[in-house]
Amino acid sequence: MKLPAAVVAACLLVGARPLAAPPAPATSRVVEVRLVASVTRLPLLPDGRLTEVFAYNGQVPGPLLEFHEGDRVVVRFRNDLPEATTVHWHGLHLPFTADGSPFHPVAPGAEHTYEFTIQRGSAGTYWYHPHPHHRTGYQVGRGLYGAIVVRAADDPIAHLPERVLILSDQRFHEDGSLDFADPGSPAGRVDFENGREGDVIFVTGVVNPTVSIRAGEVQRWRFINASGARVYRLGLQGHRLLHVGSDGGLFEKPVELEDMILANGERVELLVRATGDPGSIALLQALPYDRYIPQTRPADWNVPRTLLTLRYRQDAPVASPVVPSRLRVVPPLDTSAVKVRRVMALTQGFINGRTMDMQRIDVEAELGATEIWDIENIVGMDHPFHIHGFQFQVLDRDGVPEEQPSWKDTVNVPARSSARFIVRFDNFAGNWMFHCHILTHEDAGMMGVLRVR
Amino acid sequence: MSAVQSMRAGIGIVVLASTLVVAVVAGAARGLETPEQTVGTSQLDQILLGRRIVVSHGCGDCHGGGPDPSAEGWLAGGDPLPVSGMELHPPNLTPDDETGIGRYTDRQLFNALRFGLRPSTTPDIEMTSARPGVGNHPGQPDYLAPAMPWTSWRHMSDAELRAVIAYLRHAVRPVRNAVTPNEKPPHGWTEHFAESNIGPYPLVAFPTANEELRREDRRENVLRGRRLVASLGCSDCHGGVGNPAASGWMVGSRSETNTGNGRPVGPFEEVIDMGQFKVAARNLTPDNVTGIGRFSERQIFNALRYGLRPGETEDVEITSTVPGQGNHPQHPKYLAPAMPWLAWRHLTDQELHDIASYLLYGLKPVRNRLPDSEGPPDFWASAYSQVSPYPAAPFPTQRERAPSELPPELHRE
Repeated sequence: MKLPAAVVAACLLVGARPLAAPPAPATSRVVEVRLVASVTRLPLLPDGRLTEVFAYNGQVPGPLLEFHEGDRVVVRFRNDLPEATTVHWHGLHLPFTADGSPFHPVAPGAEHTYEFTIQRGSAGTYWYHPHPHHRTGYQVGRGLYGAIVVRAADDPIAHLPERVLILSDQRFHEDGSLDFADPGSPAGRVDFENGREGDVIFVTGVVNPTVSIRAGEVQRWRFINASGARVYRLGLQGHRLLHVGSDGGLFEKPVELEDMILANGERVELLVRATGDPGSIALLQALPYDRYIPQTRPADWNVPRTLLTLRYRQDAPVASPVVPSRLRVVPPLDTSAVKVRRVMALTQGFINGRTMDMQRIDVEAELGATEIWDIENIVGMDHPFHIHGFQFQVLDRDGVPEEQPSWKDTVNVPARSSARFIVRFDNFAGNWMFHCHILTHEDAGMMGVLRVR
Repeated sequence: MSAVQSMRAGIGIVVLASTLVVAVVAGAARGLETPEQTVGTSQLDQILLGRRIVVSHGCGDCHGGGPDPSAEGWLAGGDPLPVSGMELHPPNLTPDDETGIGRYTDRQLFNALRFGLRPSTTPDIEMTSARPGVGNHPGQPDYLAPAMPWTSWRHMSDAELRAVIAYLRHAVRPVRNAVTPNEKPPHGWTEHFAESNIGPYPLVAFPTANEELRREDRRENVLRGRRLVASLGCSDCHGGVGNPAASGWMVGSRSETNTGNGRPVGPFEEVIDMGQFKVAARNLTPDNVTGIGRFSERQIFNALRYGLRPGETEDVEITSTVPGQGNHPQHPKYLAPAMPWLAWRHLTDQELHDIASYLLYGLKPVRNRLPDSEGPPDFWASAYSQVSPYPAAPFPTQRERAPSELPPELHRE
């Protein structure tokens, strides 16, 4: 029997047993996953109305996949959708043929096996979603997305209770069906600029879920922005956040923040320290963040939105666990090894003035080469830039150096600004996508092909 | 008033405001620039050149008819413009003897275009200096009202200004339309037109501290483009008050933080108010991130010719003015209407490429991040759904004299 998505999600969120990491096996193991994408009807909305969705294994979000570093993963996938799809393993370092990029569509009714090994040192939060050319935004928007947690044997904060919080937003018609604007309509053209945003925000499939916490406790929240366009500036009322990890896993040193921006495709690990009083409540909010081009900026862009409610239990405070000041070593990539520097100029729907052509190779890199990419956003709205298959380290943003090296696969580049990253194209030759992760932009062709050979 | 008309009025106000606000002192050494200009040999060619300048410089935006010589009221006097509590009346530029420019000599008209001197009150003499009180330039010049952008037009060559005059005098049909003489402040506009506000004439030699030749093979384009940029008054909105040596030249709308020295750099407030939208003239220096350095020459050309926003339009050759045809986007995203591309597009391909060359290869990049212009979600498409024709109606229109009607002396080669 399949549980409704909301129930599954609620278990993930509020289950009494924290999702603590089981000890990693001493030897590599093979993890087999069965994944089916199909059309189904689910009660997405809190009032129980049914919505026709695309779902992985009958649920939205799809099942949480947990792997350990060193695992051999075999995903047996079947496409029961009426259209071609792929499964892209966002952020994982794996062979080109397993990337689920537009180059490897899975036809309706067809099966495909994805096989890859979880790399050592890659422990972190990832996600999976479809990536067929021109249809990614639509299929993700219909409900195809799920979380991946990669665990390390030596995770220094494995003792903390953990939540996986997948942020997504949705737009509904009155009858509960999903609202996708006709691309040629005025609403569709606004969607083209902003990306498709919805006014209903889900956290792991639930609208404004409650997370309970005990005063003094520290929880580890893994966030994934699975929204096609909405960017979240996360702020927790009355709390400061401890930023401990990014797309590719833990930082070297935790960083304390008031709030932080989570752009499309990005992940972040935050530690929430329960500094409030027993019985109190604090809202996790999406604070105003102006990522928009002025012509299509929504009128309500500056209204804070509630994501979830943090509810303190009545229990007396517990002694706070210690958070290590050094989480792991993240060696910086060697800038002296850089032989190639590239510029990616982002405009509204274009990279270096061009749109995606499946027959064209935009960039060629040598296998094993270290390169610096300068992502220049030269228009008036943010564009999150994602590269497949490889983790990079952001060097600086608008010339301001990053405080510490960290692993990323997606970097948000705000309007009329730049970000530089260093990347090493190790291990896997092939044709890799790079693109804007506003899915409407990606589908419109704001994407290119990197050939590593 | 239609949307387009109201935008035109907006343009008029923009131009007007440009000369009213105090700006920076022109610095740097001065040198003479020798404008080189090839003019057709026949006087008919001269008239056609003058016509193209009149159309491409948007004279009709204020004086009547927009950039369309077939429009009713072509140059016969425009709608009143409110300026500084006054109501200004763009004069009748048709050669009517009583109400138009038929009253004035060519020399008086030349002195108006080059030096801003009001023809009705200025002696009909050849000016030997651009400076008040020097040579026979009047010590107390009676200037045209500041809506008239003569401080830009004066950078055209003598031949170009004479071509404009020839067109107005000989090829525009006279229209009797008495326009109210313009008010002026008690002491005229002298202070507004102090050299510190409008830059020197002639232009300071290339390159100033703001300029550098970034492509040697484009030197000629850059120099021609520079004079076009000056004579079109780009700096009225984009910064630098008519003077390539001025602080803030082409770096975009004025803001106190632009220069780092606390001085405002342009004649405008940070943003131009266009009804419900705030519009900021963008940074036109070739800075890669905040300017136009990453745009191709073709994208700049497409912005000037078709009004298409370079950041939101594919970098392709466009062969039609009709949306959806000839690579023209189905849903064009236009520059904010404060940008007078509907006039500028009548410049020749070569002139537009020269402007692009100057901006991309003749300026030093300046990092200056400005707020993006606001606008409606259709990027002004509906506002531009009905605009004057491009190319302009062939010569002669009903508002113009046919070649056979031109004075006999104009028929000779």
